[in-house]
Amino acid sequence: MSKQTILYIEDNEYNRKIVRQLVGRTSYRLIEAIDGESGVALAQQELPNLILMDVQLPKMSGLDATRVLKADPRTGHIPIIVITSFALSGDREKASAAGANSYLAKPYSPRELLALVREFLPES
Amino acid sequence: MKLEQLAERVQSRTPLRLLVRWVAGIRASVHTKLLAAFLIVTSLFVAMALVSLQTIVSATHQSQLLDEAHEMVSLAQEGEHALARQMHYTDLALLSQDEVAIAKILRENNRFNDRLAKVEAAGTAERGLVEQIRSSQDEAMAVVADMANAIRDGKLGSVTGGLLRRQERLDTEITTHVGRLVTAQQDRMTRLRESVTAANRRSLILTGAFAVSAVIFALFCGFVISWSFILPVREAQGFLDKVAAGSFGGHISVPNRDEFGALAERMNHMSRELERFDIEQRHAAAELGRLNQQLAQTSKAKSEFLANMSHELRTPMNAILGFTEMVLDGLYGDVPTELKEPVADIQVNGRHLLRLINDVLDLSKIEAGRMDLALGEYSVREVVDIAYISLRSLAVEKGLNFVINVHDDLTVAYGDNGRLTQCLMNLAGNPIKFTKQGRVEIGVELVGSELIYRVSDSGIGIPKEELENVFAEFRQVDATVTREFGGTGLGLSITKKFVEMHDGRIWVESEIGKGCTFFFAVPLRTKGDSA
Repeated sequence: MSKQTILYIEDNEYNRKIVRQLVGRTSYRLIEAIDGESGVALAQQELPNLILMDVQLPKMSGLDATRVLKADPRTGHIPIIVITSFALSGDREKASAAGANSYLAKPYSPRELLALVREFLPES
Repeated sequence: MKLEQLAERVQSRTPLRLLVRWVAGIRASVHTKLLAAFLIVTSLFVAMALVSLQTIVSATHQSQLLDEAHEMVSLAQEGEHALARQMHYTDLALLSQDEVAIAKILRENNRFNDRLAKVEAAGTAERGLVEQIRSSQDEAMAVVADMANAIRDGKLGSVTGGLLRRQERLDTEITTHVGRLVTAQQDRMTRLRESVTAANRRSLILTGAFAVSAVIFALFCGFVISWSFILPVREAQGFLDKVAAGSFGGHISVPNRDEFGALAERMNHMSRELERFDIEQRHAAAELGRLNQQLAQTSKAKSEFLANMSHELRTPMNAILGFTEMVLDGLYGDVPTELKEPVADIQVNGRHLLRLINDVLDLSKIEAGRMDLALGEYSVREVVDIAYISLRSLAVEKGLNFVINVHDDLTVAYGDNGRLTQCLMNLAGNPIKFTKQGRVEIGVELVGSELIYRVSDSGIGIPKEELENVFAEFRQVDATVTREFGGTGLGLSITKKFVEMHDGRIWVESEIGKGCTFFFAVPLRTKGDSA
């Protein structure tokens, strides 16, 4: 059985590093993208088991990317966890309206993130 | 009403209008004008009384003249009767040849002469006619003298024929003359009576006409003068109605050069001033509106800036706290003992910085009006429990007696549970930080339709003069406390805003040395239009 794949779309180098090191200790396979457009392309190509989507992204916002992926029959079933640092009210509603399966506000605790990932994708 | 409408029509559609305006334009006080009108009317009635009096006097005089004429007719008729008897006795004397009859003739002749003299004295008889009567009577008396002589001499029989003829001729002559006299007097009286009747009629017509015209003139005067006062009053009413309706800058034009004119002038002045104020006020309002718009734009820009800052600040915070946590969790291997404390310090301070950022952002959002409550059904017990669990470890670490006191009958309420939890944590966080030993308690009670949340401690308390300042931003009772315990100074003011957004109220009671209790009361079911 092949490794379960997680796609992390995030433009900040250090945040990608955190998740990379966090996931490195688990059995998951991590692939990364640094903007909305390449993230969508990678998701369509790799068909990961879970997507972690930052909201503030260059080229295409995380919410738009979520909508595109959810509308695509090949990727529509993949659970997406939206991560936002926007604290304005309605963010959670916007995320779920775009089709996100869960929502996490920055700054998140790596421990909590991992727990949430495991909730959606139990380690094999 | 109808009479007023008629007066209105008369005033506005006839040349009277010009007269009214002319009277209004007379340069005299209202008092003088009223006095003049009153005097005119009064003098008209005095004149009317004089005319009536004059008519009465003249009628009396005419009536006297008529009486006199009537007397003349009577005198003339009496004379005529006396003459007839004189003739009769003369005839009798001739037949009876009696001297007694002669005496009667003389008596009647005297009576006749007396009446004739009176008529003559009144000057109403034709002088020639009177002369003729007199000379005829003299002749008749001569006949009577002859007759008397003949009787005395007893020779009457021989002269009777001659005397009789003379007598008959004179009879006819005198009777004719006297008849003319009587007729003349009667004619005169008739003429006089006709002229009196005509004069009376004329007087009546004159007096009546005078009375009618005096009344009409008085009414006319009253009409003109009253309208000369009504017109400016009406103008003023119209003007004031416009002012009351908010239309300033009107102008009233009245022909009056009296107090009403002065009043109109003052109103016009007032109107100009009002218009000036109105324009100034409008400019000020427009300026305010512009500034307000600018402010709104600035505020929007501020909110957007805050949103961006939120992202910019949280991204590195995420990395700092994330790496620290992973280090402490041993993700990079065991942490050397001497490094454990400084790394934990980095974590504590990082969290504090994050709290500070969150508080500042929350407050800014509230002030920009962009903070909305997420209203919904919530469990009161859960709100208290979450606050309790979040703070419990710190309280235990400090050895404080931290308890909660919630009645079991409190189940479900309506509001923003997240924000209410935040409020309780803000209120309870301070005493847990600041109280060095003793007890901190969170309690909830339902009083009427209000939920009263309460956080009490057994700390040092807050001085009375500081109580009203505790909810102000960036205030702490002692500024050094912030440095020592690490509060942001924003928790209470944010709590106050959240409570107010729930239509609630917040207050504090304290006694120095015995501690203090913070309360906030929110409706059991908060009415909110935002969710």
